[in-house]
Amino acid sequence: MNIVVCIKQVPDTAATIKLDPSGKSISEENIAYVMNPYDEWAVEEALQTKEKFGGEVVLVTMGPDRAEETLRTGLAMGADRGIHVVDPQLAGTDYFGTARVLAAAIKTIPHNIIFCGKVAVDDNAGQVGPQIAELLGIPQVTAAAEFEMAQDGNSAKAHREVESAMEVLETPLPAVITAEKDLNQPRYPSLPGIMKAKTKEVKKMTLADLGLNPAEFGAAASRFEVLGMSMPPKREGGRIIEGELPEAVKELVRLLHEEAKVI
Amino acid sequence: MEPDPIWLSAMWGIAIAAVIIFFYGIYRKARLARLGVPEKRSDRKGERIKSLIVYGILQKRVIREGYPGVFHSFIFWGFVFLLIVTGIVFIQMDFGFYILYGDSCNYVTLLADLVGLMVLAGVFLAFYRRYIKKPSRLTRRREDAVALTLIFLIIITGFLAEGFRIMDGQPGPLCRTSPVPHPLDDALWSPVGSAFAWFFGLFMSDGGSLWPVFWWLHMALAFAFIAYLPFSKLSHIITGPLNTYFRSLRPKGALRKMEFKDDMETFGVQKIEQFTDMQLWDLYACMECGRCQDRCPAHLTDKPLTPKKVITDLRDHLNVRGPVLLKNKEKAEEVPPLVASVIQYDEIWSCTTCRACQEHCPVFVEHVDKIIDMRRSMVMMESSFPNELNPVLRNMETQFNPYMMGNDERADWAEDLGIKVLSQDKDVEYLYFVGCTASFDDRNKKVAVAFAKIMKEAGVSFGILGTEEKCCGEPLRRIGNEYLAQTMITENINTFKKYGVKKIVTACPHCFNTLKNEYPDFEGTFEVIHHTELLSNLMKEGKIRPSKKLPSIVTYHDSCYLGRYNDIYDQPREIVDTVTTSKLKEMEDNRRSGFCCGAGGGRMWMEETLGSRINEKRIQHALDTRADTLASACPFCLIMLGDGIKAKDMEEKLKIMDVAEILASSIEK
Repeated sequence: MNIVVCIKQVPDTAATIKLDPSGKSISEENIAYVMNPYDEWAVEEALQTKEKFGGEVVLVTMGPDRAEETLRTGLAMGADRGIHVVDPQLAGTDYFGTARVLAAAIKTIPHNIIFCGKVAVDDNAGQVGPQIAELLGIPQVTAAAEFEMAQDGNSAKAHREVESAMEVLETPLPAVITAEKDLNQPRYPSLPGIMKAKTKEVKKMTLADLGLNPAEFGAAASRFEVLGMSMPPKREGGRIIEGELPEAVKELVRLLHEEAKVI
Repeated sequence: MEPDPIWLSAMWGIAIAAVIIFFYGIYRKARLARLGVPEKRSDRKGERIKSLIVYGILQKRVIREGYPGVFHSFIFWGFVFLLIVTGIVFIQMDFGFYILYGDSCNYVTLLADLVGLMVLAGVFLAFYRRYIKKPSRLTRRREDAVALTLIFLIIITGFLAEGFRIMDGQPGPLCRTSPVPHPLDDALWSPVGSAFAWFFGLFMSDGGSLWPVFWWLHMALAFAFIAYLPFSKLSHIITGPLNTYFRSLRPKGALRKMEFKDDMETFGVQKIEQFTDMQLWDLYACMECGRCQDRCPAHLTDKPLTPKKVITDLRDHLNVRGPVLLKNKEKAEEVPPLVASVIQYDEIWSCTTCRACQEHCPVFVEHVDKIIDMRRSMVMMESSFPNELNPVLRNMETQFNPYMMGNDERADWAEDLGIKVLSQDKDVEYLYFVGCTASFDDRNKKVAVAFAKIMKEAGVSFGILGTEEKCCGEPLRRIGNEYLAQTMITENINTFKKYGVKKIVTACPHCFNTLKNEYPDFEGTFEVIHHTELLSNLMKEGKIRPSKKLPSIVTYHDSCYLGRYNDIYDQPREIVDTVTTSKLKEMEDNRRSGFCCGAGGGRMWMEETLGSRINEKRIQHALDTRADTLASACPFCLIMLGDGIKAKDMEEKLKIMDVAEILASSIEK
């Protein structure tokens, strides 16, 4: 079983995000990077599938040099090897460009199944997984909350949470499965795993290696432009309305109506 | 009775056989213990001999508990005395070398008689406790009964032999073997034996040939005792004092440092032989008194951990696995890791590392380090630990704190307080190591503010590291993630050295213990003090002058890592006593018997789903004192016990404050 997982390095969600002076991106100063949490569920599902069916788990990422740390995290969890597409021309590439790069990288290796996170927590676009499926011309199941591969390895079942119901889909393989939150419990890398990860193969590839035209990628080729970013308004503390209950209720209704404008 | 040469050589034969069996038994145990990784503990001989005398011979820890302490002392000291007397008889009779001259043999005879009675009393008290009172911590297996019965029979046959001897009008062995025969007055010098003689006199006119029968029975039982000893719980007579002598003399709060090398394949303890030989010897020192279990907060709140069972289960496993390994270590069939086969997962993770078990163990068995060693393998080898720890460990890696917060918010509490940050001004006397809890937890931030304000008021020169501070590594070490802990420790030490830090003060007993006792193993030796020490000193020096006495009735909760681990019991109490009008009220379990809040050993970040809640049990102790304020000197205790008060809906009756906050409110103008 050849299992591919697409992963992305994102800023740690615990870190406080500050805007870059340009106002069009976030400041990278003092930021810790982690693996996108949804991708962790994808990696874990891939590892569990490998444990049941055997085979190899290959991680694919696109990103600057620092993205290799995230590949190593996945390798420490137990993935076998990694492909890191790194090219200066890639800075500012849009979602479609990213999907094209990842799909091209996946084409270089055998793949029975491709796991992705449902969405990356930094830009919340959720486009890359589905686009990879389209580019490869294979089926996709997005936001899988449960996943089960058929015994013969030729098809898989996935559950999707839809409004107050569970949808069960069956798909032939190869297919792209994107992981919903809590698809599983991602493992914490063991120390021998961390040690071994240091020497596992990470193949560096450029756009040229993938046979892609650099001019079609990067900020200049992006199909959209970020006009600006702004911080959400600071959350204000709650307010406690003092006084006798009947008056307090009246005051609460007044505030909800006049200040909060929700009723 | 004149020694018959045939009988005499028979006795010698039995004696030698008994001693051979005895040494063989000890050798067998030692051989199994030596399967462990060699650990040298032969340094500091003076200190070791001292603890052997204090805790072995003088039984300091055994007698801490009244009832068992008394009867154990009766039996132990009784046996020691009778052994000496027997030795004297043996030397006088068989070697003709006289020790007791003049009248002294009479006094020793009298004493031996009374001591025999004392041992019998001890046996009865022990029997009553184990078989009639039946405290839950004691087992009632065959060997428990055999041990007591054997002691009883040895003494009683001694008295029977003595009684029949007196009936026959023969002199006692001590005076008989003395060079100068003495006039006998058995009623005076052998009152117990005489009483037996009087009793037999009611039924028979003379002792017949019963004296030698019982004398031989007495001897045979004594030799049986010697031979049986190493194969039973009685072995603690040897293993206990040895364990006391070879106890760890490292600081109580310092876990063993792990070395990480590239070619290492295993981390922590998965197999019994991965413990050190000293740790394995511990297993044989345990005589299952159960004092550890009676003090274990996990056990007392119905969790599946009892420290005693951890030790006895490991011992039973060593007894089975050891001989297989001794036969052929390479060819021995693999067995599953200890956790989940010998020790249960929930036992390992229920431990708060409060150390109450070790504090009360009479023979210095170390339970906590074994549990941590097994946790190390669980975390680093198998990645098997409570799920709640997963985000904690990840946040530690990227944000260096266990509170799911960004490290850039670490010094937010200090904004606008005018506190020096070492990166801007390193010219300070003390580094105030704030610790994660006081940096990120809203309740504990108030403690940091109160403590910093007092220090400013008192003119203490101090600064903080701000966002350069990282978790001290304590919870990581106790959780078993030694690898990550060492990263934190090394990085903190480098930061300390960068700013030339010499003295560190912290309000967190966990940081305090690790900085003080564990950092030296990583080439980071600093003068570390706890805030209660600093505040107490500042008060004594008159640098802090409380302006008013508070009308509160206060009880103080001992933090395990401040009290039991570092013996700081008095300073927090002194501070509270000085600034309040009424005297401090002590809780049921205090000082070295302090009852854990439930947060140690990384339990702060784990769910408490088994049994009842530790913090609520502790709050009940506080409520029982009828105090209105619960003083704490630890951020974990502050959170846990604060939650306990809320859970019991007692916020009207009891409030919890850090000692620094109590002091601060007494100096407010």
